[in-house]
Amino acid sequence: MARYTPPEQSKAGQVLDIAVVVVAIFVALWLPLKLGFAGAAKSIDALDAKTWDALGQNATMASIWEKLGYTPETAHDIIQNRFHYIIDWPTLIIMAIVLIAYFVFLFRASDKEYREVINEKFDDK
Amino acid sequence: MWMGLSYVCWAISAALAAWMLYDWFKVDTTYSEETLTSSREGELEAVSEKHRI
Amino acid sequence: MTAAVETGQTTTIHGDRVSLLRVLGPAHVWALGVGIVLVGEFTGWNFSADKGGALAALIVCWVVGLLYTSVAMIDSEVTSTVAAAGGQYAQAKHIVGPLMAFNVALFLVFAYTMLEVSDAILLGDTIVAKAGVEGLTHNSFIAATIVVLAWLNYRGVLMTLNVNFVITAIAYVSIVILFFSVSPWTQGAVLKLNELVTPANALPYGWIGVIAAFQFGIWYYLGIEGTTQAAEEVRSPARSLPYGTMAGMITLLIAAAMTWYVCASLMPWEYLGITYYPLWDAGKLTGSPLLENLLFIATLLAALASANGCINDAARAWFSLGRDRYLPSWFSAVHPKYRTPYRSILFLLPIALAFAFIADLNQAITFSILSGVLQYTFMSINIMMFRKKWPLGSIRRGYTHPFHPLPAIVLFCLCMVTFFAIFLGFGSQLIAMTVFYFLISLWFHFYRYKFVRRGDQFSMPWPKPQGY
Repeated sequence: MARYTPPEQSKAGQVLDIAVVVVAIFVALWLPLKLGFAGAAKSIDALDAKTWDALGQNATMASIWEKLGYTPETAHDIIQNRFHYIIDWPTLIIMAIVLIAYFVFLFRASDKEYREVINEKFDDK
Repeated sequence: MWMGLSYVCWAISAALAAWMLYDWFKVDTTYSEETLTSSREGELEAVSEKHRI
Repeated sequence: MTAAVETGQTTTIHGDRVSLLRVLGPAHVWALGVGIVLVGEFTGWNFSADKGGALAALIVCWVVGLLYTSVAMIDSEVTSTVAAAGGQYAQAKHIVGPLMAFNVALFLVFAYTMLEVSDAILLGDTIVAKAGVEGLTHNSFIAATIVVLAWLNYRGVLMTLNVNFVITAIAYVSIVILFFSVSPWTQGAVLKLNELVTPANALPYGWIGVIAAFQFGIWYYLGIEGTTQAAEEVRSPARSLPYGTMAGMITLLIAAAMTWYVCASLMPWEYLGITYYPLWDAGKLTGSPLLENLLFIATLLAALASANGCINDAARAWFSLGRDRYLPSWFSAVHPKYRTPYRSILFLLPIALAFAFIADLNQAITFSILSGVLQYTFMSINIMMFRKKWPLGSIRRGYTHPFHPLPAIVLFCLCMVTFFAIFLGFGSQLIAMTVFYFLISLWFHFYRYKFVRRGDQFSMPWPKPQGY
């Protein structure tokens, strides 16, 4: 098999490639932050009676909260801030499809490239 | 005290960043690009390969 | 910038080659691996208590420990055979193919850079919390952490990892001191596990909480696989890498168990789940100023050690990409005096700084975990392909892991569980990240790959793989 000779890349091309990668990194990492994607559903289940007892804290727990500088009022928003795990099927299915499609593409395209590498490497000898 | 430490941190960061930029410039202008990018993966392995063939 | 022009393929070994230095021993490998990870005990793992309760945090500590034991075993085998900078990247290149390798390198760079960002934020926030001064922000401490460590990395790998060894050891010993000074053998004196973790509150969300907790359970050990990045700088990779990695894993399992036991016995899970400094808080709650200050310093040191190792690893991965022309070969320069991939170190520095200033700790940790789990999924498939293409006996392996294919299957299943856990908290983010990797893969496959020399990528002196 003929040896593949890659084209020389111009200086401008190299700079452009670096720029593409940097922009892609920033978009991928920064956009989800900006759009507020992150975070599961956590919300406060408010209680009327704000005592250690009502918050489900026994005497030992209450003494530790107090040692940490909390009162039942200030600890309320921490203790009652709960996750509400709901399985959102459409999102789960989309996620599964995206992940599987990504890995399938990755392995198939890699295999195609890999065969070229192996051919060139071992037929040269 | 903590505010002072904060300013010291900025100063150290700036000084070291400047030094690295200076050294980078110096190295890039002193050595040729071929020399700098002459590292190859599996160099040791390449030696054994050569001996076998 | 100078265009990187190389004149044909050079096969000469002697001459003016500038390569990375082979100076490291097993202790450095341990310091690199444990150094990166240990910060997870000082912050991050405890968010798994938030997700599922104190008992969930313990369950994931063990189950994710199993995941990482598989990772360490698999990694040791492959990397003791493919010993090149870039670690899993070089593995992917030789076993799966170029596009996979490109992606794996990006996973590595993302995971480590975001982990470095988390470390810097943690360090800055810890100092600000300690100072308690009005108007003091964490920015200067973040900048100093990232720049000083980049400088240390720039100046040479031996010094970098010597420093890492010392500060990691101090941080580790402080966990051990904390553990023994709260008389762990008696409950009731200082520790009150049975009053804090009761049948009623052990699993407040039931088993779905345990699964959700996987996401942050990863944080107990994330980064131990980074030991492989040192492959080209270790004196005898086939021996040191498996040894250092396994020793590191054992160290971490012990630290994780001690950390959980002390923290869960000292604070209610609702607080444990939201604090940024579980061990420092544990030190405070013992009532001993000595322990409090020790754990404060240990938190800082652990964050430093981790960021230091991350700069080292991310730069190696980026450097390898340049060396194979997956990215402009400009990045593959080695400093002629310090023998470090200095351009890669410098290039990643402003990126880390930028994210440290704009992201918050939780988000940076999540980015890091996402890339990590994608990588572990790859590793489980990779080892299967490795054993198939080069069965035992066909090439010399430095280390052969036992019970194959069980570790690979366990790893793959646990990765699927973790993806589901991430879905419960950060599903949209995972989709966004995967779409990004997808797009950049298309860019690489259809455009960038034309600049890559084909046969040269395969640098190991192995026979032709079976089935090709």
